[in-house]
Amino acid sequence: MKARKMLATALALSMAAGLIAAVPVTASADYSVSELQVNIWDNNQLAGLQEIADAWSAESGVKATINVVDWDNYWTLLEAGASGGQMPDVFWMHSNTAQMYMENDLILNLDDYIANDDAIDIANYYEGIVDLYKSNGVQYAIPKDHDTIALLYNKAIFDKYGVEYPTDDWTWEDVLAAATAITEAGKDDGIYGYAINTSNNQDGWYNLVYDYGGQIVTDDHKGTTIGSDEAKAGMEMMRQILEVAVPQTTVAETGTDSLFKSGLAAMITQGSWMINTFYTAENSADYAWAMLPYADRNGNGACDEGERQSCYNGLGWAASANTADPAAAYSLISWFCNEENQKKQAELGVTMAGMPGISEAFAGAFEGMDVSAFTKIEEEGTLYFRPYTRNTTVWEDALQQAGGFLDPWQNPSDPALMAQACDNAQAIIENAIAQE
Amino acid sequence: MAKKMTPTQKSEAKWGLLFVAPTIIGLVLLNIYPIVNTIWQSFCKTGDFGKGNKFVGLLNYQNALANTETWQSLWNTIKYALIEVPFGVVIALLLAVLLNKKIAGRSIYRTIFFLPMVCAPAAVAMVWKWLYNTQFGLLNNIFHSKVAWISDPKIAWISIGVIGVWSIIGYNMVLFIGGLQEIPGDYYEAADIDGASGVRQFFSITVPLLSPTTFFIVQTRIIGALTIFDLMFMVMDKTNVALPKVQSIVYLFYDYAFTKGNKGYGATLVVILLVFILLLTWILQTAEKKLVYHN
Repeated sequence: MKARKMLATALALSMAAGLIAAVPVTASADYSVSELQVNIWDNNQLAGLQEIADAWSAESGVKATINVVDWDNYWTLLEAGASGGQMPDVFWMHSNTAQMYMENDLILNLDDYIANDDAIDIANYYEGIVDLYKSNGVQYAIPKDHDTIALLYNKAIFDKYGVEYPTDDWTWEDVLAAATAITEAGKDDGIYGYAINTSNNQDGWYNLVYDYGGQIVTDDHKGTTIGSDEAKAGMEMMRQILEVAVPQTTVAETGTDSLFKSGLAAMITQGSWMINTFYTAENSADYAWAMLPYADRNGNGACDEGERQSCYNGLGWAASANTADPAAAYSLISWFCNEENQKKQAELGVTMAGMPGISEAFAGAFEGMDVSAFTKIEEEGTLYFRPYTRNTTVWEDALQQAGGFLDPWQNPSDPALMAQACDNAQAIIENAIAQE
Repeated sequence: MAKKMTPTQKSEAKWGLLFVAPTIIGLVLLNIYPIVNTIWQSFCKTGDFGKGNKFVGLLNYQNALANTETWQSLWNTIKYALIEVPFGVVIALLLAVLLNKKIAGRSIYRTIFFLPMVCAPAAVAMVWKWLYNTQFGLLNNIFHSKVAWISDPKIAWISIGVIGVWSIIGYNMVLFIGGLQEIPGDYYEAADIDGASGVRQFFSITVPLLSPTTFFIVQTRIIGALTIFDLMFMVMDKTNVALPKVQSIVYLFYDYAFTKGNKGYGATLVVILLVFILLLTWILQTAEKKLVYHN
């Protein structure tokens, strides 16, 4: 009787082990859990990250299951989970919401773990990202990656209308001239020179504001200069480009990336996290990247300090404060963030690394497509951190909608409307900060 | 009133309570408690993750009622209901009458009309979103037009309403068919003998005898239409210029409560909607006696 019971237990156990073990399991004596739930929102990164995570599982004997939840639902789900005590073990943090989670002690304090971990030296990572995930001196997440922005263009359209390709030395004036030429020539075909929506902020109009000397959020995260003359000059440039760009009603329905891929827009700006989408697209042979244009503010014909700015953001790997086994969760985070796997992440073309100077491999990850524009800008431009305050979403959303920049986007021919929108934006951001 | 219960009655009552307990517990935990909590939150400036709520009295209500956005959204919701309910009911009634007759392929037609009800609303909305697309949509392709079905504030609310009608006819139709089959055939026979036309029979027999069903559908659909959310949410992008003229009050609630993290203000919006629905239901219930023909 007893022997039978033991046999049954052994069978059940081996079956359970079989379910867990997609990777060879070496006894997980170190950890009390057999599986960690990992949440991310970008399907493009799933394959590469799972590969890295599987290598960790092989060593630790703990399975890491990565679930992809799309951006909007990711935050709804995480917040509901946080309120109800059901968060995933390990997950991505983002500048929009990090502050709120850190202040409420919902994510694991990593200080002691980092101090006892030889693989991680927090000083090696991008300062802006490290600071972002720090609250009251406590480190809550380790930088996973960073991103930059570049100009994407469709060579076939430029060829068709005899316009010269964008180069790394282009200013926004050059973009305007080329976009105008293409939109005029392509009128009968319904092809436009440029496409941008109000929601393209980090990868779009934010950069113009900074190129011309304005700031969406000041360095202390307590104010904005979007209503200043400098920022208005940047948005005025934006307005002129909008006059020849795809109308707003269209980009609201179809999306700039779809329009570009359908061959209806010749140029868009895109973040490094989107490369894979275009790399795997049907006509990817026609696509090429140039460095983000600059604003020749002093008119000397060269790009000087601060005239070419690329918004960068970095995700952080964080763990739930209530995870069943914090040591296992941290071990996985440390694995994702150590130098070797940060390099591997770049090599696999998942994203660029969270520490400077090791992302060259990323440029080579896309065979046949030159993506060096994303790494070059690190030396030849200025990276500024994605503007954030405690409750970023409130003003970020308002800026995209009516009462914000949607009005001038609708009627780009009226310069006064754009200037007014900048003033409105100043008030929107200031009010939101006042309520935080 | 205070009549003493006999021991048998007492024991019956005890067992009765025991048997309905699961339902009562479920209702209290899943419906009553959230309702009370929502009403309480509407008087609070809520903290993150449900912690640190601060009582602020009527502040949220003052802000919500002073905000034109609230009234616009309420009006948008009413406009949606004005399309969905009448068209959904009339079309469904006509279909039900036709499909209640003995025609070839009757069950196939019934299935086809009911199918939208079986589809996930989100999937329905995604398909319609592409049908409506200005650039690549099937509608503009067929008509060789360039209509911005869901981006033109003047027509976007109608486009959304059409999806609502399309989704609901099947359900209404099934209810109507059920109601039609309750009407005794002798009435029609008698009318035939008296020489009444089909149209006359429809208005003098079918419509009055069906009125309890009609009333039920109208009332539940009004409530359903006033709580519409998924269509706007799925079909329209956040940067769509027509959104302020189309977004429903529940959409506004979602935006404040979940996107912007202001649960208190969101709760206020749904309480306003609740009061509105209560009022409307009371009016309808009062009108019921006049409008509904009871056999």
